[in-house]
Amino acid sequence: MRRLLIFLLLAAALATGCTPRPGGRIVYGLTLAPTGIDPHINASAELGIPLTSVYDTLVYKDPKTGEFVPGLAQKWEVSEDGKVYTFYLRRGVKFHDGTPFNAEAVRFNLERITSPDLASQKARFMLGPYERTEVVDEYTVRIVLKEPFAPLLDSLSQVYLAMASPTAVQKWGSEYQLHQVGTGPFVFVEYVPGDHLLLRRNPDYAWGPPVYQHRTAQLEEVEFRFFTDPATRSPALESGEADVMGEVPPQDATRLQGSKDFRIEPVAIPGVSLMLFMNTTRPPLDDLRVRQALLFGTDRQAVISAVFRDTSPVACGPLAAVTFGYNPMVCEFYPYNPDQATALLEEAGWKDTDGDGVRDKGGQPLALDLYLMGWGYMPEVGQLLADQWARLGVRVNSQVVSYPEALQIAQEGRHHLMPFNLSGSDPDILRKFFHSQAGFNWSKVSDPEMDNWLTEAARVSDRDRRADLYSQVQTRVMENALVIPIRDYVNLNGVSNRVQGLRFDAQGWFPWLIDVTLAR
Amino acid sequence: MFGYGLRRLLGAVLVLWLAATLAFVAMQLTPGDPAQTLLAASGASPEEVARRRAQLGLDDPMPVQYARYLADLARGDLGVSWLHGRSVGRMILEQLPATAELAVAAAILGAVLGIVLGLLAALYRETWVDTLATGLAVLGLSTPVFWSGLLAILLFSLYLGWFPSAGGGDLRHLVLPAATLGFALSGSVARLVRAQVVEVLRMPFVMAALARGLPLRRILLLHVLRPAVGPAVTIIALQLGFLLSGAVVTESVFARQGLGRLAVQAILWRDLPVVRGVVLVGAVAYLLTSLLADFLQVWLDPRLRGEGVSS
Repeated sequence: MRRLLIFLLLAAALATGCTPRPGGRIVYGLTLAPTGIDPHINASAELGIPLTSVYDTLVYKDPKTGEFVPGLAQKWEVSEDGKVYTFYLRRGVKFHDGTPFNAEAVRFNLERITSPDLASQKARFMLGPYERTEVVDEYTVRIVLKEPFAPLLDSLSQVYLAMASPTAVQKWGSEYQLHQVGTGPFVFVEYVPGDHLLLRRNPDYAWGPPVYQHRTAQLEEVEFRFFTDPATRSPALESGEADVMGEVPPQDATRLQGSKDFRIEPVAIPGVSLMLFMNTTRPPLDDLRVRQALLFGTDRQAVISAVFRDTSPVACGPLAAVTFGYNPMVCEFYPYNPDQATALLEEAGWKDTDGDGVRDKGGQPLALDLYLMGWGYMPEVGQLLADQWARLGVRVNSQVVSYPEALQIAQEGRHHLMPFNLSGSDPDILRKFFHSQAGFNWSKVSDPEMDNWLTEAARVSDRDRRADLYSQVQTRVMENALVIPIRDYVNLNGVSNRVQGLRFDAQGWFPWLIDVTLAR
Repeated sequence: MFGYGLRRLLGAVLVLWLAATLAFVAMQLTPGDPAQTLLAASGASPEEVARRRAQLGLDDPMPVQYARYLADLARGDLGVSWLHGRSVGRMILEQLPATAELAVAAAILGAVLGIVLGLLAALYRETWVDTLATGLAVLGLSTPVFWSGLLAILLFSLYLGWFPSAGGGDLRHLVLPAATLGFALSGSVARLVRAQVVEVLRMPFVMAALARGLPLRRILLLHVLRPAVGPAVTIIALQLGFLLSGAVVTESVFARQGLGRLAVQAILWRDLPVVRGVVLVGAVAYLLTSLLADFLQVWLDPRLRGEGVSS
């Protein structure tokens, strides 16, 4: 008896000593004022940072293995033709307002997302060739597609296709985004647009996916605030006004790394790396040799060191190295070699005949129009590249434009070079950039074979086959010198040392707040 | 008096119509397609983008769009934000108090600081006091808000820990942003007040007051400051535009909510309903402050009172 007592006491002591105590509150710094935070309507990545913890998704993607694991769906089947997905739902799940979660709720959510009246900016398009949802029985639901769509599970694992309470959606209408109700580990308490968003622990949560380590949230409250000005982020962290801060500028990150109270947790973001698209239809970039010369003449490492303080990897190809389907072979292309760049330009007939330092041909100088957007260090990168290429005898006319203007310039093909990056964990993201009909086909490429690869890879479900197809696309993109890759995106999270257990989902942006604890 | 009121009202309607029309025309001239801006990153097909454009009414001829817009406005309907998917009226009402609070606090701080600096500079003309006060005024005028705001955060928030650097809510959160914006405003006020006071000091009625042996404090307050401050009031009212544009930056530096950030985001995303709504609110604010400034000036300087208007 006494032995048992001692054992119990010991166990209790161990339990309290090892696990940090539950409870507490943190302030999480967001970096953009979101454009609206209804995940079914709006497209910003910022909305997912808080809302991933308010909602659950049908499936989850394990960031370590890239495999899909059960969420609100316990298991699922895909039909032979890849057009019908059957989900067997978990029972006993309740939304925060008490509404039961069932097949009808799934149908309601998907119908809401695909309704033209909702004017969805992202979620609708993540469903691809969606046709309809069928309720088979209370806990079985079928999603029917018009065409096979391999990225569907990846889409369904993201907060944009999360399950919202039908009761709350109907009750609040267009004001739903201020009153969101999910099934997740945290309850949406309030959102004061532009000021803060508050989440509180959901004590009833018991249906988390296997990727969550705790059954219920360890923190009592999480408050989100918006720090749009990059220069204010590290002061807010250091003055204790925020405990976690996304997108700390590289120079502040290197300084914080040496601090004993804070640490930097870099998270590599999958998707399309920061790269410059070369307009292959506008002379002189219609000449492959000129495009290759720019690639050989670009010292990416110097850019990474100067602008990103070596906090991001050099990008070799169109896909970030952490993305499924990444082909490491792309790193063989175009090592920094100014001599080869010069030789290629000479071969293409560009010589400096008038001695002004700028090459010319047929009386025309070798001048390129570079349009940049003012965010994501694009102006700084553009400045460095212009300097590097000036040494090759290439003049760059660079101009900072707004995003809508950039889209228009690209559509009209008035650019020579324009940078962009986009995050996303499924390599189907390449189709947005390199398919001849793509909205972001800023290279103005028209390659029927590549179109076929991209289309097929979006249809086949076999992972290896998909990886092969995307490998081919990446090789083709680099062979034809369609882009100048610069940097794989890395989110530098500044974290107070009292915050422990911060992990991120497969997209790299969205924290799993359920497992965050406070150190004593 | 009644005719004056009517004229003023008609003028106000005209100003509002002009502002609404300008906002409409300016956004028509701005490059970029709103539907494409909203959907490009989602990988929407060109057909889907075209469908959204039609849904937003952007395919209609411009006169039709303009007429529909004015008709909605006449009914007091500001529409629904294309970006947020919420009512523009509600969104503006949410952000207005924070911006008004900041603008009013900054205007008061700027006015008081500007008047004190201007008065000191004028009274101690061409001494070190003048140099110091004028120097501060020039510093306020020429320091961009994003920089002085950051310095204020570093000093008062990070090192001294007196005030929070971010967010809104209580008065403590208002101190740094209002002081930053107010300091920028005080420069122009100080320069004007100095010039006015220097002028008023030469006036015969000041001589007369001095000759009658009135206390100096009374002369300064009643005889010098009142007429000198009148034009400063107009300047402050006219600086509303500066306050609103400065508020954009201040809101961003101090992580505050507000109309400025809403407007900037709306412009960047070509969210026309929000842009138009904010422009209208700005126009209304201008009308109200200029009205207020007129009354204040008349109250401060009895010489401006016409017959029948005097109290």
